[in-house]
Amino acid sequence: MSSDDRSPLLCSSRKLEVGYLGSAILPPIELEIRAGEFWAVIGRNGSGKTTWLKTLLGLLPPVRGSVVHERAGLRLSYLPQRKAIDELYPLLARDVVRLGLDRGWSFLRPWGGEPKEVRAALDEMGVLALADEPFRRLSEGQKQRVLFARLAVSGADVAVLDEPTSAMDQVAEHEAFTLLDELRKRRGLAIVIVSHYLGMVQRFADQALLLDRDTQTVIRGLPHEVFADERFQARFSERPPAIKTLEEEDG
Amino acid sequence: MADAGPRPPASGEALSDQELEEAFGADLGAGPKDAPRAATSAEEAGPNSPASEARAQEGVPSWSEFAHGWELGIYRDPVLCGVFAGVVLGVLGVFVVLRRAVFVTAAISQAAGLGVALAFLVGLWFHASVPPVLGALAVALAATALLTLRTQRMRLPSETLVGLVYLGSSAAAILVGDRIQQESQDIASILFGTAVLVRRSDLWLVGIAGATTLLALALGYRGFLFAGFDPEGARVHRLPVRLLDLMLWVLVAIEVSVATRAIGALPVFAFAVAPAMAALSLSERVRTALALAAGLGGLSGGLGYLFAFFFEFPVGASQAALSLVFLLVCLPVARLVRGNAS
Repeated sequence: MSSDDRSPLLCSSRKLEVGYLGSAILPPIELEIRAGEFWAVIGRNGSGKTTWLKTLLGLLPPVRGSVVHERAGLRLSYLPQRKAIDELYPLLARDVVRLGLDRGWSFLRPWGGEPKEVRAALDEMGVLALADEPFRRLSEGQKQRVLFARLAVSGADVAVLDEPTSAMDQVAEHEAFTLLDELRKRRGLAIVIVSHYLGMVQRFADQALLLDRDTQTVIRGLPHEVFADERFQARFSERPPAIKTLEEEDG
Repeated sequence: MADAGPRPPASGEALSDQELEEAFGADLGAGPKDAPRAATSAEEAGPNSPASEARAQEGVPSWSEFAHGWELGIYRDPVLCGVFAGVVLGVLGVFVVLRRAVFVTAAISQAAGLGVALAFLVGLWFHASVPPVLGALAVALAATALLTLRTQRMRLPSETLVGLVYLGSSAAAILVGDRIQQESQDIASILFGTAVLVRRSDLWLVGIAGATTLLALALGYRGFLFAGFDPEGARVHRLPVRLLDLMLWVLVAIEVSVATRAIGALPVFAFAVAPAMAALSLSERVRTALALAAGLGGLSGGLGYLFAFFFEFPVGASQAALSLVFLLVCLPVARLVRGNAS
């Protein structure tokens, strides 16, 4: 663990119930995110991970409860699932990173050259040589590094990432987690990441949050504690239910 | 125009709006039929006029004839209008194509056409003068507002609204046009773009709306980019994503409605789609694509008019066709460039 209870509190989820159209899909979630923490949100597909994440970020309204920013002017950054990023846009890698510098209405100052932080962030992520390459032509691992550089320049206090390694092989995935971990240590930001790769979660995360909509389960704690919980083991080791035909269901 | 086209004054002065109206009737922005060449010549007096016979013997239109019309202002204004509209719609088109909303432009231009027709109709019914561009703007903005409605609760994709606006505008325009035609106006020319002549006031409007649009796009450039490339990431960074989206469509509505009145719906739709497609196929950077699309749009507007003049084709269709020719040239070039790059 690289943070403790003395680390500054950044934001908290207070009896937060998430869902759609006024219906909660998970029990209330109570947790605090502190500077320098590495949170892993785990759960099976459709378990409510992204819904919780989006509510934490203010992209979805809470059903009940609240998300409290414990620091004035708290800066959040978000790397959504890759399908949410439109690769039709012809942007160079450095253009993508440059976007990370804009907050609020700062984009209304179009004059001036490219800030030096852009190249510094690309360098930090080991992709400076790709600065002038079209983003859409990069490999999945390279794209993710460029997007991490966007996180790095954003000056975020909390960086939230939704399955950032989903399209990567094992080596690239390990590299990605390592880069994020280094970024956290260097900049002291908190990272909240949704991931299906439990090995990486166990290795890098210092807090885990298990969400399961089907069994209405929410478990939070140290990764090894969560993995040891029988509810986790029941959900992650169970065989998929057999699909019945309509006749069988009627019978 | 050949059968009823009036003769322009033979002075060397540029024509005023009033003179143009007297010479060609009220519907200058979308005069019926319309190879531009017909406008300067004495053959407009009728097919059997001496000038017409002389023209028949002369054969193809000449540059001196064009230059003469340019000096009179008859060709200058529509060419400049085509160039301005092409440049601005080319730039806007890049954002529209990147938003995968090509048919939004078609729907809005159709709505603007309906607005123009409605303005005429209201004028005829109430014997009042309703500026057509006001009608175009009002209906285009109303259509834009309709397009921003959320359709998820109806369990329908948002494209259905685009179809609805297009269909409703088209049907209504035909119905309104039926009434206008009874008053000797030509609704088809408004909807399909046969802009031979452009009023000075329409040229100014296209210029002012275009400059405003370009300024707004330049100021909000990174915002529009971030909001389109990664809307959720942009919202977390507290960019006003919904306002930027609305702003983009309002700019489209303004430019499309003003340009539709001046040059017709067909070239407007063509300028908003083809140059952007060509530019995006060739570019790996949005800025480059914007510059290319502006150039191709401007060329389509200007050269399209010249093509129509020299080969005696309808103007709007010539401009649209030329923008498609540019696209057809650019696509294989882009493929070649990409092949060499990879």
